[in-house]
Amino acid sequence: MSLQYRPVLAITVLFAAALAGMSACSETTPSTSPVASGPVTQAQVAGIVHVCASCHGFEGRSISPTFPNLAGQQPAYIEAQLKSFRDHKRGDPHAQTYMWGMAGSLSDDMIHGIAAFFSAEKPAPGETGNPAEMQAGKNIFEHGIAARHVPACQGCHGNHAQGMAVIPQLAGQHRDYIEKQLGYFASNARKNRIMHENSKNLTADEIRDVATYVAAQ
Amino acid sequence: MRVWGKRPGQHPVVGALLALSLAVAAIFFLQIRTAEALPSFARQTGQQCAACHNGFPELTPYGRLFKLNGYTFGGGSSPWPPLAAMAVGSFTNTKADQAGGAAPHYGPNNNFAFDQGSIFYGGRILPDLGAFIQVTYDGIGRAFSWDNADIRYARTTTLFGAETVVGISANNNPTVTDVWNTTPAWGYPFQASGLAGSPAAATMIEGAFSGLVGGATAYTYWNRLVYVELGGYGTLSPGMQRALGEPDSSTNNVINGVAPYWRLALQHEWGRNSIEAGTFGMSAAVTPMRIFGFGRDRITDTGFDTQYQYLADRHSFSLQASVIFENALFGASSNPAIGATANSHDTLRSTHIKATYYYDQTYGATVGAFRVDGTPDPILYANPTNNSPNSTGYIGELDYIPFNHGGPAFWPWLNVKVGLQYIYYPEFNGLRGSAAQANNTLYAFAWLAF
Repeated sequence: MSLQYRPVLAITVLFAAALAGMSACSETTPSTSPVASGPVTQAQVAGIVHVCASCHGFEGRSISPTFPNLAGQQPAYIEAQLKSFRDHKRGDPHAQTYMWGMAGSLSDDMIHGIAAFFSAEKPAPGETGNPAEMQAGKNIFEHGIAARHVPACQGCHGNHAQGMAVIPQLAGQHRDYIEKQLGYFASNARKNRIMHENSKNLTADEIRDVATYVAAQ
Repeated sequence: MRVWGKRPGQHPVVGALLALSLAVAAIFFLQIRTAEALPSFARQTGQQCAACHNGFPELTPYGRLFKLNGYTFGGGSSPWPPLAAMAVGSFTNTKADQAGGAAPHYGPNNNFAFDQGSIFYGGRILPDLGAFIQVTYDGIGRAFSWDNADIRYARTTTLFGAETVVGISANNNPTVTDVWNTTPAWGYPFQASGLAGSPAAATMIEGAFSGLVGGATAYTYWNRLVYVELGGYGTLSPGMQRALGEPDSSTNNVINGVAPYWRLALQHEWGRNSIEAGTFGMSAAVTPMRIFGFGRDRITDTGFDTQYQYLADRHSFSLQASVIFENALFGASSNPAIGATANSHDTLRSTHIKATYYYDQTYGATVGAFRVDGTPDPILYANPTNNSPNSTGYIGELDYIPFNHGGPAFWPWLNVKVGLQYIYYPEFNGLRGSAAQANNTLYAFAWLAF
């Protein structure tokens, strides 16, 4: 055997050994392959959740405000959104860039499993913002703006912005994310008849104030 | 690529070897800078290129995780296999004509070229096993060869309560495994003309053994904070290199045994920002030009790098900088029987920095600078005045990526990048003034992948 073969052989043997060793650890490393249909196991859900965590953060608490926190979110809301992504019914720009593909192969059972996982995680703590913005946002959240037919947010989202069923929890969500979504609702980039009516008469500053307030809860 | 050879004309055989080495260097220079975002990845994930790339090939935090997880993330529903193709065409103008032609079959200046065509396997093989394998036709050198290859097996587990990716890679190019765009295989410039002169001196890790070696690395990425990768590279046999399209496989430099490779990086993410700082390097015992019996060279490259990214909906900004220190003990090359270097000990330093702004992941502008400097060597870096390896270049580039948010309806995974790049050289291979600026290069390119 020539000199040049030996290092390559050694590297190949080491690689094979490492491969075998990692394969033996399969119980801690679930597959990331989507499941087309039928019941799903916890391990299969864990595999997909691992992919979700790339953007939404380990245990559903994300770092970048481009991606919403999912930890503690209402499970019915997560399910509804994942189905909307999968069926291309939610079409705001980030939905198209990331989520149409990410949710494209998810079965209803898998979506249910994902929603159950993230909703059971500990929500992200609120982040206190500018006091003046928070106070202005609190007023809108609790009382709305009657003159412009903007209802109080808490009427649907709850006194503590905790949400209910398909109405999302807003407490602890990234301020930038909430601000962006309200803008999408107002412009109909994200189609939702009720939220369009509720947000279309808000100014950019009022949207920012509401977002600052709920992000701090 | 560093060339361990003798001054052309000093000895006809060694001169020919040097010419061959330079030709291979030119091929590598093309190879390591032209693999980009892959439509097959987009089909597999169902996501737009912009999910993984901040103006490709620069990776976003998600793109880094996609690669570290072995290219296995799914989501897309495309029935097509994970194959992709790309083609690059260009126009090159240099400030001064290149006597005898910029390359065989090309004129001295203002050349249009089909730079390259590549076929890729890019994507999942098994649930936790994936690959990025590129075979390239060099349209300027008119030859096929294998290009970057990176086959990975990766899993995720929990360590000290935090997400931990562990994986192994079999690959053919030191730094091809890296996920920050600061290291040579995926560093800037991402595209460069093959029909313009480029600085002759470069450190070993900047492509000297690209495609000539087989290597394995093992890595772990803990809590998206700490990245550690260790591995080694060994030279492929001449027969294997020939089979893979390397033209001077019987005369190129050989790594004796296994050359260790390391990569350590710390990353911190906050809001839309991420910052990384790290080190990488490689140390190799090298037999120059496969001339055995005269000892070995010991080449050690130690690099330090940093990257900052700000990625927002419309505006994104990134900054990359690196410096590589090379310590070269030419135990064999300086032996008069080989005579590839005059000194028994040279040092070389290679520095790169660039900043990029993208609007809507579609319109980009980049400014950058690079410098290589080191010990003068009258054989290795022979020139009429100072035998210096020093070169400095400033780069400006404009890019347009019309389909980064999805291609046309008939083939949504089509991606196109057109760019205009200018390199200004105040110093080139030790020469300054008009001799250096003669190499100033205007390069317009169109890149197509599908």
